[in-house]
Amino acid sequence: MSAPLVEMRGLSRFYKMASGVVKALDGIDLDIRAGERVILLGPSGSGKTTLLNCISALDTPTAGTYVFDGRVVPRSDAEAMTSFRRQNIGYVFQFFNLLQDLTVLENVLLIQEIAGGRDEARARELLALVGLEAEVDRFPSEISGGQQQRVAIARSIAKSPRLLLGDELTGNLDTATSETVMQVLIDACEAEGITTVMVTHDESLTKFATRVIRLDSGRIVADDAMQA
Amino acid sequence: MSMLLTKRLARSLWRSKLRLFTVILLIMMGVTAGISFGGYAHNVENLYDVIYADDDEGVNLPDAWIILPSGTWSAAEADGLCDAISDGWSEAGSGLDVCEPRLVLDGVMFHVDVEGEEAMISSVWHGTDEGLTDKVWIPDHECCGGRIAGAENEIVIDRHVAKHLEIEIGESVEIGSGHGRLVFEVVGIGFHSNHLWFSPDGSIFPPKEGTFATGYLSAAGLERLAALDEGAANYILIDVQDTPAFDLPDTDEDEGQYEMTPILEYLSGTMVDNGAESAAVRDRGGMPSIELLRADLNGAKKSILPMTIMLTLVAGITIALSLHRLISSQAREIAILRTLGIPSSSILIGYIIAPLVIGAIGVLLGLFFAFLWGVRGMLDVYENIIQIPILTEQVPPELVLEISLLTMLVVFIAGIQPAWKASRLQPLEVLGGEHQIRLGSRWMQRLTARLPATIGLIIRSSLRKPVRLGVTFFAVGLSMLIFGSVIMMNASMAETMIGGLDTTQQWDVTAYTMPGGEAEIVEWAEANGAGHELLIEFPGGYPDDSKVYVALGLDTLTQTDSEAMRLVNLLEGRLPSQGEANPEVLIDEGMASILGWEVGDSQILKFGSEEVEVEVVGISRELMRTITFHRADLAPILGIEATGVYLSVADGTDISGLGDISLTVVVKDDVVEGFTDLMNKQSQMLDLFIFIGIGIAAAVLLNTLLMNLAERDSDLATLRVLGASRRRLGLMLLGEHIAIGLVGGILGAIMAIYGAVAFAKAFSQWAFYFVIEVDPYVASGLVAVVVAISIAITPIGIWRIHRMDLVDMAKGFSS
Repeated sequence: MSAPLVEMRGLSRFYKMASGVVKALDGIDLDIRAGERVILLGPSGSGKTTLLNCISALDTPTAGTYVFDGRVVPRSDAEAMTSFRRQNIGYVFQFFNLLQDLTVLENVLLIQEIAGGRDEARARELLALVGLEAEVDRFPSEISGGQQQRVAIARSIAKSPRLLLGDELTGNLDTATSETVMQVLIDACEAEGITTVMVTHDESLTKFATRVIRLDSGRIVADDAMQA
Repeated sequence: MSMLLTKRLARSLWRSKLRLFTVILLIMMGVTAGISFGGYAHNVENLYDVIYADDDEGVNLPDAWIILPSGTWSAAEADGLCDAISDGWSEAGSGLDVCEPRLVLDGVMFHVDVEGEEAMISSVWHGTDEGLTDKVWIPDHECCGGRIAGAENEIVIDRHVAKHLEIEIGESVEIGSGHGRLVFEVVGIGFHSNHLWFSPDGSIFPPKEGTFATGYLSAAGLERLAALDEGAANYILIDVQDTPAFDLPDTDEDEGQYEMTPILEYLSGTMVDNGAESAAVRDRGGMPSIELLRADLNGAKKSILPMTIMLTLVAGITIALSLHRLISSQAREIAILRTLGIPSSSILIGYIIAPLVIGAIGVLLGLFFAFLWGVRGMLDVYENIIQIPILTEQVPPELVLEISLLTMLVVFIAGIQPAWKASRLQPLEVLGGEHQIRLGSRWMQRLTARLPATIGLIIRSSLRKPVRLGVTFFAVGLSMLIFGSVIMMNASMAETMIGGLDTTQQWDVTAYTMPGGEAEIVEWAEANGAGHELLIEFPGGYPDDSKVYVALGLDTLTQTDSEAMRLVNLLEGRLPSQGEANPEVLIDEGMASILGWEVGDSQILKFGSEEVEVEVVGISRELMRTITFHRADLAPILGIEATGVYLSVADGTDISGLGDISLTVVVKDDVVEGFTDLMNKQSQMLDLFIFIGIGIAAAVLLNTLLMNLAERDSDLATLRVLGASRRRLGLMLLGEHIAIGLVGGILGAIMAIYGAVAFAKAFSQWAFYFVIEVDPYVASGLVAVVVAISIAITPIGIWRIHRMDLVDMAKGFSS
């Protein structure tokens, strides 16, 4: 068996609030291997998003270790954390967060430029992969929510990340569109060899996962392999 | 309920403190400037009223001056002229109060400095016994003191001179007026109406300190100095009951229709009837010092309103932009309030009250600083440049009321539209997110499609709110207008003055003389190996107009001849030919502009009461209003061969001998140094304008760029989450700010250029006309200032990115 892509041991994230210390993550031990499609499930406040933030190095764990592809993930230097994200992580948000001043194609190109390698042919190829070859010159406000989310997926994989994270990425879409977007995401990530970790409330999406992890009160309460 | 809503709004405003303070600062600056300028104008106007008044404190300023340009009248002639004027006065209209002959002569002061070196200072001496009009003004102030000259060896020294040369009451001074030198005892230090603006005749700029002197002797004292008979005079002062209105040289309104018009016509006629054709009759508008101070005061008064409006307009624009941004960011809250049943009128009132409260705070702070520093600062500059003491200092309540209400009105107007917009927000649209849908600009996309996406993003984000950006550029342009136009006017003035002297006038010294005295000066020149050229400078006029110009007669009219002492800077037309039936002349560009005269015109000129028809063949650039003749054409008209001699002397030549044979001596280097001194004294004022201009430009740009940044928080956070480094985002911001600074700077420089041209036109007048020459260095400097301000604001944006809580921001990206 190959070495885990994500390796967390005893990971905790505590927040000091006026009412006391909130344990958002409390001693998480987690391995995620390359190629897995992981879905994180759990009620509000269970720690799903905090875990996602720690995986992406947006947030700094209070305690524990986190190794990504055999290397310790930086946790105190903001620029090193950004660099880690730039090199390894793709992110898809619920509200798409496309830049409204750029066209669909330019949104993808921008991320390539930030990652240091503009490649328009590949950007067009990725947009074709998510079924948007006809929309490349449109502005985000000129296409539907589902299409915007597909642009966000193309944007996230444009820099060939090792790991793609999604936070409630279908939460703003109707059921049918959610299914389409998820299928596009899975197909694109498989085609590109990208591991995925997604947070959702929607149990019906577990059919797209190879593994479902349930969290509650900052702890993993279930970790089930799924039939792909 | 409204109270709670207002409290909510106040707290929202407080969250954007930096922008709030910026707006208050702008209003404060507008009010401070308005009150300071207004207070300056009020106090200076009061001062002139005190000086010119017909009472124990004032000098009783005459209403008309009859001036014999060369030579003198005997006592009998002068008295005869006064009798003639008095006898026929009923023709003139208003009652005659005083007709008083005076003797005023050019001369020199021989001043020994602390190192024992004797300097020869060109001077004007007045023989002025305690008359009924145009008295010496000795204010009850520490600057001055003593009494007027009574005995024939006593003199009152002008305060300007006493200060520059450190002369005190009780000391002696040695002076001359073409007939050797005599010693006089200083018995007083004071001012004279003809020399409040302390520049020699023929110049509008004060000379270098210590190179020009005036003094006020007894009539007998001056007669003794000039070896003239008792009662000799060359001025007749006319004081009319009340103060009749006179023609202002800087207006074309109602020419020839003032109360003074029939009086001037009567006086001219009386001179002709009594054989004094060459005497010039002038009203207050024709007396350089009086007219310059009036025009300066008028300029200050004229600038109060535009200056205040301009500054408060910038503040108003900033308030409107800030409120729009506030309302956009609070749209959801407003929609919820409306959904909960809060009436739109309550929303409207809150958003109207907010700018009014901000305005009131700005006004109060503005008044505080105006009273604390502003007015006094302006008066300090006046006292430093004009060197007349301000006796009382007050700020009229009506000025305070006017500026405060005007500012509050601008603030109110600025707040109405955003408040109306807030009260009209549709809850369904806002809560449905429709108001946030923003369509990118297609033409902008096409324009930048070939650029890298990063640069395209910078450009498109900058231009996302074109109206806001446009209005910001307009406001920056206004601030550039304030200080850019002042800098440009200064640069143009310096070029006109010093550039003109350096490039077109090759003389070193001009020695002025009474008619016939030029031979002695030429003799001196030849004995001292100095180049020489005769000249005529003579005051001229026009029929039915009080404007006075210099008729200049030169031996050689040339643009290039290196032998000529004075070159002509010909702008249009050709050089005059000599010996035509109607003399051919050049008029200067100020005269052409103000009088509307053109090349090819025939015009009637007036010298004393003599009228002469001339042909205008060209337009030249001159500092003063000047008509240039061939001296050979002008001499027979005036009956004078020369009034002075241009001299070109070798370095180190002792010119003190000229003092004994000349009426007065002007040294070119002293004129240039005098102008440089004046510019240095003005630097305080210039610095103030620069401070105001840059401060406002910085505040306006800061406000807009902060709003841009705030609106882009989400985009920037997204890019950060997706892996964009702070350095890269910082460079993007820097690029954007440089682009905004460049566009704003270029637009600002263009506005400053047009503004300077408009200001120059508005403030140019007969005595002081100049044209704005656009200096590329000054224009690029203005652009550089705006770019620098823009760049200086970038770290604030970088700081915002730096302190961005990505975890918190990312939470907002998903539910």
